Amino acid sequence: MIKMLVVDDEVEICDFLKIFFEERGYKVFVAHNGEMAMAAVADVKPAIVLLDVRMPGTDGVDVLRRIKELAPATKVLMVTAVETRDKIDEALRLGADNYITKPLSLEYLETEVRDKLQKMGS
Amino acid sequence: MTREHYQQALKITAKSMARVKSPLHLARIITRFIDREFGLSHTSIVIRDRVHSRYSFVDSKGDRKIPINLIRIDQDNDLVQWFESPGHTLPIRRDYLTTQQISELVDDHMLLDHYPGLEARLARIKDQLSLFRAEACVPGYYKGDLMGILVLGERKDKTPFSAEDLNFFQTLAHHISVTLKNSQFQEDLIQRNEQLEAKVREVNEFLEKDREQYYQIMLALAREVHAKDAYTAGHSEEVERLGCMTAEELGIDLSGRKKDVLVAALHLHDVGKIGIPDSILKKEGRLTEEEWLIMRDHASRGAKILAPIEAFKDVSRAVLLHHECFDGSGYPYGLKGSEIPIESRIICVVDTFHAIVSTRCYRKKSTYDRAISELRRCSGTQFDPDVVEAFIRGMSKRLEPRYCITTGKELSQLEAERVDTEAQG
Repeated sequence: MIKMLVVDDEVEICDFLKIFFEERGYKVFVAHNGEMAMAAVADVKPAIVLLDVRMPGTDGVDVLRRIKELAPATKVLMVTAVETRDKIDEALRLGADNYITKPLSLEYLETEVRDKLQKMGS
Repeated sequence: MTREHYQQALKITAKSMARVKSPLHLARIITRFIDREFGLSHTSIVIRDRVHSRYSFVDSKGDRKIPINLIRIDQDNDLVQWFESPGHTLPIRRDYLTTQQISELVDDHMLLDHYPGLEARLARIKDQLSLFRAEACVPGYYKGDLMGILVLGERKDKTPFSAEDLNFFQTLAHHISVTLKNSQFQEDLIQRNEQLEAKVREVNEFLEKDREQYYQIMLALAREVHAKDAYTAGHSEEVERLGCMTAEELGIDLSGRKKDVLVAALHLHDVGKIGIPDSILKKEGRLTEEEWLIMRDHASRGAKILAPIEAFKDVSRAVLLHHECFDGSGYPYGLKGSEIPIESRIICVVDTFHAIVSTRCYRKKSTYDRAISELRRCSGTQFDPDVVEAFIRGMSKRLEPRYCITTGKELSQLEAERVDTEAQG
């Protein structure tokens, strides 16, 4: 079963995406801040991370940097609000595999996740 | 809920809705109301974002609530499509959609056989309902346009919604749609208003810039005129100061445009001299009849120079008439008294005073006195007596030290002497 980590400081968003992807056959872990996220990355070694850009404390871009140091093969999809264009550019430079803007289409999100994981497989 | 209960609930919500102008606020009231009265797994409201022509969850309440602003539902979404295009050939009511309804439709083989593609479509819609954990979806319209959808989770006791329940939800969905439309109308109005205001501002700025530029050119011309004549160098600033003083003394309100007109006229009154040859302008002796006609034409010429600017209409008129006399003996028209604009009447007094004190030994008190007595002498004939009095009053209040400094006496003493002289005269 493919392991996914969802990182968002909003518990409801984590829960919603957890159920959504579990229903589609993923094993989903959640983290509500940067520290939890890094612990989970080290612990469960997810194949893909859905990472919220804006979080209190260690923000998404910092988490991304550390994930790419610790486990460069991990796919990372940044999830972001529209207004953080500079953050997006920074994230892409740091090796984020793509970004998705909130509000997002669930169909698109699912396709994007599948697509990134396929690229890893090939 | 009993029928009575419904009526009651409707009355309460309708009452609160009359007060609520913000659709988001109303959405919150409605989700909380349904959550409290029905105890659903969740109650959520999807609203159309008309800027991006898509839909998104704006409010959600309940144990299994949907995170707001996370999910967007695009125009081509099957659920949206189902509600957006009512009035098609399918014999299915679309004023709401329940999982039960879909189950029944999927079992209706005659229907499915008759409409190819419907089965797949229903399957996709069913997926959407399960994605949104919805037991029922109720659309809200405004004049046939889908404004939003009330997304309702299942009852905690799992009983299906009754026709009456659904009816009630429809009423609420309708209320949200109307409120949403109203607030959009209002936003549109505000926006259109802002756009108009911005346009007006732009035009005004343009005019202002134009006017300012023209004014600067005029000032440069006026300086040119004054520079030809040694005595009038530095004349403009002084004339402006004295003119404003007199106007204030006359009780003229100088806030805003009135002051602009006066100041511009004070600066520009001789701009028409720009075309007059130096041989006439600087002539020491008496002017010939012909030269005099040219000389006095400067008022009309000045007005003509200023005429093209709409904003300078009053300035142009004041310049045109600054050689009119109070008793009607002036030029170019021989106007009398209040027929002459007050600006022109002020210019004429101030200009005469300044000409006298400038041409002669500038700092002697005797010069000052001579100038004042000249004004008095011509008060009522050349000059408006009110303006003359206001001017003298203003000067004495301020004790105009620069006109009285060389006698070596204290200013107060000077003033006392002047009062004495007046009393004797």
